[in-house]
Amino acid sequence: MVLAVEVENLSVGYVDEGEEALWAVRGVNLKVLEGSIHCIVGESGCGKSTLGKAIVGILPPHAVIKGVIKIFGEKVVDGDKTLYHKSRGKLVTFIPQNPAKALNPYLRIGDQFYYVMKSLRNYDKRRALEEAGKLLKLVGLPDTSYLDKYPHEFSGGMQQRIAIAMALANGAKIVVADEPTSFLDAHLRLQILKLLDELSEKLELTVIMITHDILMASKICDHLSVMYAGLVVEDGKCKEILKNPLHPYTKMLLKVVPVLGTRKKLESYVGEPPRLDEYPKGCPFYPRCPDRLEKCLNEKPPIFRVNGRLVSCWLYGGEYERT
Amino acid sequence: MNVLSLRNVTVEYREWRGFKLSRLRALDHVSFSLEKGERVAVIGESGAGKTTLIKTILGLLRPVEGKVLVLGTDIYKLPKKKRHIVTVKIGYVPQSPGKALNPKLKVKTTLLEALEKSKVSEEEALKRVEEAIRLVNLDPSVLEMYPDQLSGGMQQRILIARSLVNNPELILLDEPTSALDVSTQAQIINLLNIIHEKLKPALLLVTHDLPVAQYLADRVIVLYRGRIVEENTIDELIRNPQHSYTRLLIESYL
Repeated sequence: MVLAVEVENLSVGYVDEGEEALWAVRGVNLKVLEGSIHCIVGESGCGKSTLGKAIVGILPPHAVIKGVIKIFGEKVVDGDKTLYHKSRGKLVTFIPQNPAKALNPYLRIGDQFYYVMKSLRNYDKRRALEEAGKLLKLVGLPDTSYLDKYPHEFSGGMQQRIAIAMALANGAKIVVADEPTSFLDAHLRLQILKLLDELSEKLELTVIMITHDILMASKICDHLSVMYAGLVVEDGKCKEILKNPLHPYTKMLLKVVPVLGTRKKLESYVGEPPRLDEYPKGCPFYPRCPDRLEKCLNEKPPIFRVNGRLVSCWLYGGEYERT
Repeated sequence: MNVLSLRNVTVEYREWRGFKLSRLRALDHVSFSLEKGERVAVIGESGAGKTTLIKTILGLLRPVEGKVLVLGTDIYKLPKKKRHIVTVKIGYVPQSPGKALNPKLKVKTTLLEALEKSKVSEEEALKRVEEAIRLVNLDPSVLEMYPDQLSGGMQQRILIARSLVNNPELILLDEPTSALDVSTQAQIINLLNIIHEKLKPALLLVTHDLPVAQYLADRVIVLYRGRIVEENTIDELIRNPQHSYTRLLIESYL
């Protein structure tokens, strides 16, 4: 199996003038197989969007980075050096959370597709519009008159679908989708997820989906990485994690999601992820963890290999090997 | 007496395009009512008229046809300046807490503002604000803070507190959890149910998130392109959806 993305010991932080960097991602390892759908799940402020942006190469200028990112074996981040020009926009594209950010407000939709396809695939206008029409149809906008409209003439949900189509327009191999469905209406979310699934299969597209909705993710995803406070705390096959979550944080995520048709009691977990400037010495989940041990307060848990899964929690410290 | 009753409410947006008047019918002969303490959810996709419905109930958007009765009074028969006498009994919790709080005002000021038109003494106002803050499980020390010092979940609690200071008979919840993390969402859902248990206000939840509606409502009204297409208890709706939109929505969660 080919690795589409390999992330080794990656840290990403943000620097404010004259101050120390605040690390949003702290030494993350990640392996994404080609053609798979890999979900990164966690609450806001866990570093999942930062990790996604680091993979695409669209971190803001005040970000600092260290570690290694390889795209199809080629290093795009090596130490603190970045070499994104070969991958960004060509091999790897981005579907942002807010669709308005993906579209130029002054250009008709058809023209926007044309410019993307002309620069990267050298299509003429007729062919580009034809292709764009097909892509729009794929994302549930079958009306060809849409190509003559401006972004503001669409609802937020439609804009997001256009943004997804646009990300696919240049034949990228890897798509990083940051909460691609959170702006969509609930009844359309599954369709979009299914579409990503279909595309992944047809085009051998690798999809890295960032989301906070673990149940939505589970509908299409093959592999799951659960992030908390800048760390990957559990990593494994999606189905296995859903069936038997190991890390207390993963368990929490599953206990707080309302499921249609069952009216289980929703657990209230107090607290939030730690602030970047008040990062704890031990396990960052300690204050919220119902299964915490004494040593969790002061000792950062290493990553244990538990039945083929990676879990960063002292609960598994007794019998399982460290990685 | 019903807390809220809509009778044949039709709302239109009108816009002159050149010499042509274009009309968009956002609500089309909508009728329903809420009894005291009832929990009802209005479900619909974007553009179905959910926000229009909320604005109409709050007295901000005059219908072209029909009546909106709040606690038995037709609010659009009252002059605009007097409407608040009735609508003050409606609490309102908006969608994105970050946008609904003035960043330059302390939490206390924000909450006191909600009492400005209620003609209560300063002392009484402060007492009510503190009471509301305790009801939403926050420490009164947050009253001296600014919104950006609080997390999204805490901001939403502040907005729930703001909706409570006038002892409302009805609370309108406009997608109250869609901007929040799942763990915070669970806390807010539980909190709203505890408040409902204690104070028994009627709840009108507007959302497209059916699993959340399941926890916050007993009865569901499905709005589609401005019309009510389905109305049922939540369990029956999930078991036996009639309209194609409802079916699609339920399928997407299973």
